[in-house]
Amino acid sequence: MRKAPVSGLRPWIIQRFTAIYLFFFFLFLLVYFIFFPPASYEAWKDAMSGTVAIVATSVFFLALFAHAWIGLRDVIMDYVKPLPLRMTALALLALGLIGMAAWVMHILFAAGG
Amino acid sequence: MRFSIYRFDPDSDAKPRMQDFDIEIGPNDHMLLDVILRIKTEIDDSLTIRKSCREGICGSDAININGRNGLACITPIRTLKGTVVLRPLPSFPVIRDLVVDMTQFYKQYWSIKPYLINHEPPPEKERLQSPEQRESLNGLYECILCACCTSQCPSFWWNPDKFVGPAGLLNAYRFIADSRDQATEDRLDDLNDAYRLFRCRTIMNCTEVCPKSLEPSRAIEHIRLAMVHHSL
Repeated sequence: MRKAPVSGLRPWIIQRFTAIYLFFFFLFLLVYFIFFPPASYEAWKDAMSGTVAIVATSVFFLALFAHAWIGLRDVIMDYVKPLPLRMTALALLALGLIGMAAWVMHILFAAGG
Repeated sequence: MRFSIYRFDPDSDAKPRMQDFDIEIGPNDHMLLDVILRIKTEIDDSLTIRKSCREGICGSDAININGRNGLACITPIRTLKGTVVLRPLPSFPVIRDLVVDMTQFYKQYWSIKPYLINHEPPPEKERLQSPEQRESLNGLYECILCACCTSQCPSFWWNPDKFVGPAGLLNAYRFIADSRDQATEDRLDDLNDAYRLFRCRTIMNCTEVCPKSLEPSRAIEHIRLAMVHHSL
């Protein structure tokens, strides 16, 4: 039995599940801003500071970054063929996404705390 | 009627060119292949095309007709309008004119082990299936390996050496779905890497162009679901 070095199924499933979460979160945001728009910046900040809001938003961003990683990784695998170039592109992408994740977590938890 | 046909002879041409042919459509010209063969006999006998059964069974005359892959022998000439542009199957290496090299395509086909794997001694007569089990092979076993689907698949264009392609995957599922086959687990494991199955981006050109109206994209979906099922 041949064992693949990289599973193809796992990223595929992660991409599908994160897509479902992203869809419902965007739907929630849309409904929230259309029907219950926050009156002021203070009200908006208060709404975003609750534990549920922070956890839900953190999960949203983690799902977004995981989803983007898999999608862009696939694009790089399709178009960037030379190995050194591919490793560089993947590393830059990973660094960028991790950086953005750290930044967004800092903002969210600073807002909560 | 005007036909613009891709011409390339590697022995004498530096690069390919398009050549126009004007020919009157006669009462005996039913299919595109009839007209191509008349161009060959009446105008230019160096025009090269592969064909055999001329009725959509052998799959040898798959070409690109007005940008869309199909079999010349079952494409009615009356469905084509204006100048008909004929090219060889996209992305496949051209041997001459409309004839392409299918080596890579067959290599991918062989890689999925397109034969029944059953370790039990064969029974005296045959391995039995229920009518339902036999039914599940419909829409899978009819593939004639014409390569219309695989040659129209962008994922295969980018990774012909690593991505199995729609035709190969349809045939892989034909054996995964077969109740008599005992290698389901191995077959799924073999396809579970970043390329062989999962380069499919569900573009669905394959299902769109299949001249036998088969649905490789559905077969690919079934393989993914079978993997999920087996991994839980």
